[in-house]
Amino acid sequence: MVDKVKVKERESTLEELREVNDDLRLPSVPEKVSFPIDVVTPEARTQTPAVGQRASRPDGRMHGLGQTKYIDDMSFPGMIYAKIKRAGVAKARIKKIDLSEAEKMPGVMATLIGSEIPVNSFGPSYQDQPIIADKLIYHAGDPVAAVAATTEQLAADALEKIKIEYEQLEPIFDPIEAMKESAPEVHPGQGNIYSSKIIQKGDVDKGFKDSYRTYENTFSTQMVEHVPMEPHASIAEWDANGRVIIHSSLGRITLGRADIARTLDMPINRIRVVATVVGGNFGGKNEITTEPILALLSRKTGRPVKGIYTREDEFMSSTTRHPFIMDYKTGVSEEGKIISRKVRLVCDGGAYCSWSETTLGKACILSAGPYNIENLYVEAYAVYTNKTMTGAMRGFGAPQVCFAYESHMDDIARDLDIDPLQIRRINAFHEGSASPTGQVLQSVVVKDSLDVAADRFGWEEWQK
Amino acid sequence: MDVELIINGEEKTASIPPETTLLKLLREEFYLTGAKTGCDVGDCGACTVLVDGEAVNSCLMLAGQLQGRSVETIEGLANLEDFHPLQKNFEDLGSLQCGFCGPGMILSAKQLLEENPEPTKQEIQDAIAGNLCRCTGYTKIVEAVADAAKEMREEP
Amino acid sequence: MIRKGKGIGCMWYPIGFTVAANPSAATVKVNEDGTATLLTGTVETGQGSLTVLGQIAAEELGISTEDVHVVSADTDATPMDTGAIASRTTYVTGNAIKLAAEKAKEILFEVAAPMLNVKPSQLEAADRKVQVKGFPQRFLPIDEVALQAQFVQGQPPIGSASYNPPTVDMDPETGQGKPFSTYVYATQIAEVEVDDETGDVNVTYMAAAHDCGTAINPMLVEGQIQGGISMGIGFALQEEMLFDEKGVQINPNLTNYIMPTSLDMPDIDVDIVENFDPTGPFGAKGVGEPTAVPTAAAICNAIYDAVGVRITSLPATAEKVLALIKEKNEKDIKQLSPAE
Ligand code: FES
Ligand code: FES
Repeated sequence: MVDKVKVKERESTLEELREVNDDLRLPSVPEKVSFPIDVVTPEARTQTPAVGQRASRPDGRMHGLGQTKYIDDMSFPGMIYAKIKRAGVAKARIKKIDLSEAEKMPGVMATLIGSEIPVNSFGPSYQDQPIIADKLIYHAGDPVAAVAATTEQLAADALEKIKIEYEQLEPIFDPIEAMKESAPEVHPGQGNIYSSKIIQKGDVDKGFKDSYRTYENTFSTQMVEHVPMEPHASIAEWDANGRVIIHSSLGRITLGRADIARTLDMPINRIRVVATVVGGNFGGKNEITTEPILALLSRKTGRPVKGIYTREDEFMSSTTRHPFIMDYKTGVSEEGKIISRKVRLVCDGGAYCSWSETTLGKACILSAGPYNIENLYVEAYAVYTNKTMTGAMRGFGAPQVCFAYESHMDDIARDLDIDPLQIRRINAFHEGSASPTGQVLQSVVVKDSLDVAADRFGWEEWQK
Repeated sequence: MDVELIINGEEKTASIPPETTLLKLLREEFYLTGAKTGCDVGDCGACTVLVDGEAVNSCLMLAGQLQGRSVETIEGLANLEDFHPLQKNFEDLGSLQCGFCGPGMILSAKQLLEENPEPTKQEIQDAIAGNLCRCTGYTKIVEAVADAAKEMREEP
Repeated sequence: MIRKGKGIGCMWYPIGFTVAANPSAATVKVNEDGTATLLTGTVETGQGSLTVLGQIAAEELGISTEDVHVVSADTDATPMDTGAIASRTTYVTGNAIKLAAEKAKEILFEVAAPMLNVKPSQLEAADRKVQVKGFPQRFLPIDEVALQAQFVQGQPPIGSASYNPPTVDMDPETGQGKPFSTYVYATQIAEVEVDDETGDVNVTYMAAAHDCGTAINPMLVEGQIQGGISMGIGFALQEEMLFDEKGVQINPNLTNYIMPTSLDMPDIDVDIVENFDPTGPFGAKGVGEPTAVPTAAAICNAIYDAVGVRITSLPATAEKVLALIKEKNEKDIKQLSPAE
């Protein structure tokens, strides 16, 4: 091959260019970041024995320097951005999705709808949740389409151009109403009560008869968001061997990988999930969310695709804490010993099961409190409603039932004129107590914790 | 549009679309990812940086408003020799957990300590009230700021 | 008028999944210089779990936390782990790591035993040494043993193991069974100030006594408790997702969804209740979730103590508390004037 440009010509062109803009000679480099590299290790990290040391966290220094790299802090050459269109209606049938306008927008590289997902369902207990809703909408935060574009803003703009026709269906929001036979079904063909549990021990009715007094009350709690400061975030990218690498804010990568493999209908070993330090989880990042969507958009475009939840996505479309309605009836002796307790729990399970099974189970077992109760009956139901799905959140139903059983306990103590600390001491589990499920408990320190806290607080001396 | 500004003591220029926020400018033009996007609408403080010494939510400021002004980010606090006392004390006390709120928290605290070298607990709480943290209950953060203030008073 | 009150919240909480298998696996590699690398499939979500897991490996190998580097969170490189959920990491992943480190240590002991003229069963690992139990004056530095194992004996000291908490399934009719391997216990006591003219509740002090078995790292345990309390305060007094009549959330932002700031936090005293669980790694259980469990109960009981009204639905917002106070005052007045 003959060079068309001679060296001399090239030199002169270069000279010209240099004259035009001298700055071209400066390579562009990322901003400088400086911190000491040779550093002293904090003492507690270097000591033995290791257990019991107040050893500092290796990521603690990175946090303070702003050097911890969360998913949103990573970028790859050619990376594009995905945004998700949400239903905005609580229950509907999708009649038509028109993406043509959106696809014409500048910078838009691909779109995705539910019917393009190989296996469009997932969930830890029941696979009742679509990755992108394709036929029915179950709650207002349901994803209905996704767009990938060259910038986040362009992707967001394109969402506005997506036209969807819905046939409105009758939603149901109140879990107690939803339990009725006549209630509209959230998932057609399946009753709204999707999980129930029972715990039975002794004879509650006899227990109530033997009681000195009985007390009843109903408690309820609200829906709460995890609010991790870092919103859900992932980046998906394929290699030439047909493997997909997903950088994700998941707190549960092994099982997340299995879920992704299932939805993409791919062998597990073709998927690599890499997490970083998660910017807050609290149970909210234990399930896959957009990972399969990003993987598919990345396959369509041949580019790495990043998807970051907006704060609004986070509220509308991630899991939340279950609202509970809790009926308590308790019979006690004159001395304040609990003789019998009956509990009915209804948990608003939102649009999908997610971790409701587990939440219901734990709430059921824990609902009696850390107390010895010979006669116990607990029944619990998880109910579908057309609201944001409820799932795992720090405590799985425990904060809800604890609010109920401890409030109830104080009402009993007051009525019997027993000190609240004392009534708990009287009833507390001890080493070898049998739990509501008949399990023999070990390493039990309920009374110790009561005493330590009361001492620290100055329970006796405290004055108004 | 072009904007000229000073970032961590160095003069910089950038050519950007006018709707670019300071947060985007820092993260996407200069790869200074210490300031985080927690909400993008001024509610959480994860994006806090110092502009002319004052803590601001960088997601609310347009980069175009920065012409000629000086911006300090978390990346500008340490140097090759040493950490900022706030960084050291945050590390020693395990003040941060997931760390996402950390850069914003530390910069809010830095402004406080520059204006008030001997803050009370209440004053520290006030100074970081715009920086949300979901992990720590703020307890160890407040302690670390107090410790850093003490350290800075003793060896200025 | 500001009225003060005190209230108790006491709780129990299980570690791990309800009956369902939730295994963790781990690999521990001792390097030629006596430092170690730990592979775990769990993810650091802020709790400091990687620090704690490193401490567990270090303890078993008799080295320091700093000597252990933890590799995590990559499905290509790290072993199976059920993940950062259900307060299970310290206990379940911790047990797997302890078992894995034990296997690596056994290789070190096999190599060291002939060098020290004793049986492997007579050895223990402590302070970066492999030493004879009951006669610590006879020892070898761990780096020497590791080097010997790797390059002379050709036996790299590596161990892998897994752990799944033992459970017994629950009878579907009565719920009887052993759903969890172990539980933790805790008490929080709140002091509140309630403004009986506005219904405003201010939590002024919190004493928290938590059992987590052995505290592998007390600093991180404290951090969990303080953070859990802040989440509990939000649950008790502020946070609520609200929907319009069409089921669309009306506060999907942090402007209108109120969560605790630094100004909402009380003074907190944390006590770690001394305990040892024989089934946990070095006696440890867990602490993540339980810290957020009793807070709301303690606060609501303190509200009752302060102003005599029972909160039956959360959150106890100022409007709700004020309405209850008014209702109570009206009732009290009626009782005072039975003439009607
Ligand atoms: S990202 Fe700027 S305040 Fe939240
Ligand atoms: S440390 Fe996680 S948000 Fe503050």
